[in-house]
Amino acid sequence: MDLATQKKWDKAAPTFDLMAGKGAEERWEPFKRELFSTMQGNVLFLALGTGLDIPFFPTGQTIQAIDISPAMLEQARDRVANYDGEINVSVMDVHNLDFEDNSFDQIFTSCTFCSVPDPVNGLKSLKRVLKPGGELLMFEHTGSRYYPFKLMMDLMTLVSRRIGPDMNRPTVDNVRAAGFDITEVNHIFLDVVKTIRATKPVT
Amino acid sequence: MDQRIYFVVGDVLVNVAIALLVALVSYWLVSTNWNMLFAMWLMMFVGMVLAMLFALPAGILFGAMEVMLPMKLSGMLSGMVVGMWAAMQPITLAQAIGAGGTTGLISIVLVWFLNTRIRGIQAMVKY
Repeated sequence: MDLATQKKWDKAAPTFDLMAGKGAEERWEPFKRELFSTMQGNVLFLALGTGLDIPFFPTGQTIQAIDISPAMLEQARDRVANYDGEINVSVMDVHNLDFEDNSFDQIFTSCTFCSVPDPVNGLKSLKRVLKPGGELLMFEHTGSRYYPFKLMMDLMTLVSRRIGPDMNRPTVDNVRAAGFDITEVNHIFLDVVKTIRATKPVT
Repeated sequence: MDQRIYFVVGDVLVNVAIALLVALVSYWLVSTNWNMLFAMWLMMFVGMVLAMLFALPAGILFGAMEVMLPMKLSGMLSGMVVGMWAAMQPITLAQAIGAGGTTGLISIVLVWFLNTRIRGIQAMVKY
């Protein structure tokens, strides 16, 4: 378990909903609902956080949800309980997933790989537990290739990574580097906020 | 750009507000005995830092990246324009406010154009 990352997010948990709960979530709601509406089969959700995404999940699903921060999951407890379906929650590090190989039909992430310390290895770990032909569906913010936004995000990352996420991650490249086949990248705001769909190759 | 009026109004308000604030700081700080290029770069940096600070409370209401990046652009451009102008010649408070407000509006419109250009036909999102 990456204790430094766990401690960082445990510390952020009490104020997380205040900072991310209204503006960002309302703004991103239509896009998240659309992405999550494709949930089917055996689903892994990473990282659940305080459960802000749960209201956007389609009802009636059985979802395995993990997060590295127990404090975040404690904040998520009411949202998990109120979900019209089943969410099984565990504290787990994406780098050390306690699941069998080829376990899941789909894996969803939501603003996750801005914070995973070793993103390519984290994605390889997801690939291990995803069934061949299974889908990785991500809602992520990444760096930008456009100036001056690229410069701004590189500078912001020097500060932001101490208390929360990196702002300049090349997540699409990381997904490809982890061995997934990318099927769709849908830009939501500039080339910064996006949904990514990828599959685990069958062979 | 977002099609919901709450976010459209929010985008305009926060960008004009931060550009005005940076314009006022530039007006009070910079004088004609400053080097023009130094004033421009310094106030661009000050504008970006101020925008980063004010983007946190604005973000609670209006979004994350959609607020932070345009606000930083507005702060930076306002600092550049008003800082450079105030170093070149004495300017009035009304001129600083006018330039700041206009810069904030231009910045958010530029971001909307760029966003539409990048997203292309994908902008036809069903709400």
